[in-house]
Amino acid sequence: MGANMERPPSRLVTSKLSDRSLQTALLRIVPLAIFALGWELVARRLNSLLLPRFSATIAALLQLVTSRPLWEAMWISNQAMVLGFMLASLLGILLGLLIGRWRAAERFLDPYLTILLVTPKSALLPLVIMAAGLGLVSRVLVTFTYAVVVIMVTVRAGVRTIDPDWIEMARSFGASEGQVWRKVLLRGALPAILTGLRLGLARAVTGMIMLELTFIALGLGRLLLGFEEAFDSASLYATVLVIVGEAVVLLSLSERLERRMAPWSGQAMVG
Amino acid sequence: MIELLGCRKTYPGQAGRPPTLALDSVDLTIRASEFVCVLGPSGCGKTTLLKIVAGLLPVDQGEVRIDGRLVTGTGPDRAFVFQNFALLPWADVVTNIAFGLELRGTAKSEREQRAHALIEAVGLEGFERHYPRQLSGGMQQRVGLARALAVDPQILLMDEPFGSVDAQTRRLLQTDLLALLDRSPKTVLFVTHSVAEAVRLSDRVVLMTPRPGRVHAIVEVGLPRPRPDNLDHFPRYSELKEYLWQQLRDMQQ
Repeated sequence: MGANMERPPSRLVTSKLSDRSLQTALLRIVPLAIFALGWELVARRLNSLLLPRFSATIAALLQLVTSRPLWEAMWISNQAMVLGFMLASLLGILLGLLIGRWRAAERFLDPYLTILLVTPKSALLPLVIMAAGLGLVSRVLVTFTYAVVVIMVTVRAGVRTIDPDWIEMARSFGASEGQVWRKVLLRGALPAILTGLRLGLARAVTGMIMLELTFIALGLGRLLLGFEEAFDSASLYATVLVIVGEAVVLLSLSERLERRMAPWSGQAMVG
Repeated sequence: MIELLGCRKTYPGQAGRPPTLALDSVDLTIRASEFVCVLGPSGCGKTTLLKIVAGLLPVDQGEVRIDGRLVTGTGPDRAFVFQNFALLPWADVVTNIAFGLELRGTAKSEREQRAHALIEAVGLEGFERHYPRQLSGGMQQRVGLARALAVDPQILLMDEPFGSVDAQTRRLLQTDLLALLDRSPKTVLFVTHSVAEAVRLSDRVVLMTPRPGRVHAIVEVGLPRPRPDNLDHFPRYSELKEYLWQQLRDMQQ
């Protein structure tokens, strides 16, 4: 009896869900299609070197993704990006938690954090290159610098949402400092940590491209500069699309991870 | 048995202000399985007193002993029930109730079993997988109470546990707490600012004066146990409430 009663509603729910995902897909595809069509029409009308036709860009994109230089460039760029991002995550999470846990750490670190937050990161590029040269270290340092502050600040904001009573409650049951960290601080800051990582990832991609375009012509940056010199705007646009595509994939992956690992936070920490 | 001997506690002054004396020369003895309410206006150090017994705060002077042993920190013989519940928002009811056991390294199957037994005891059947934000205030405090009982303490330390729920829920929670204690007696130190609650629940009421917190008087309640529902019909109940009110009023002046 119970099983019979349950079946129809559950079928109803799935059909509703697929309806909704179809709706979402449409909502995403339709504006894109309009955008592509508009691009094509405007480009045909303008007939300018600055705006290649959409069809030409897609053709260049297909050629690009089947060619070796793109993947070599991706490999070189992402090496630095991933390393820098990982370093930034580690330090950003650790310092963010530390600041949240101990007021003294906050008083000590806050001025530097504020300075870092308002400093345009690009202004630090020459300094980093002077200090670390043109190698991998320098590129890792730059992506690190771009990502670390936003991670730290977001994690700190997350730690601040942790009620001091939760820590006292854990201590009243005899929690060790390690348990307080693992079972209250880390766990409670998890939504913020994941948001911080997502924001940091976006900054790391920015940092990587910025450096390669301005100081160290390598990887995707060099590819872009090469197309610029050749006035090959279709390939230039195609490369930008690849970079945007990578960022979108990475961000939606981390968003999905966020929703899976911290479902209780709801929409509170998004943004 | 809980003994407080000449307890004194000072909080350092914030931003150049002078330190505040929260508790001064507090002497108090609580017998095993006794229910003692600490009553007083806000700022009389009630919560400080409770946290000192819990081992969450050190005393500046004096000492706290439990069954003769000096208290130097928290211990498995005591469990705390918080005024604003202090439930973990990312954990469901079962996980919240089992949290104390989890911290003490109890195996998962055992602590879930214990949590389920307590869910029944506090009347939360059917809400095992609910999250705190899905529960009413009264239900949240039932979780808080179950979490404290889960570690099977000898002593319950309750910090205005029913202060933030409505009057009806409060009555229900009081009745259920007394019923739970009838079944498994515990020593209870209960902080409240409600005169009626203190008289309704406790064996003795400790009246405290504010700034600095001192024991003003200790009053024997002397109402029958188990406490009848119609306490209002007992002259002793009304007299005591009147007397305690008077004392509190005099203190404010």
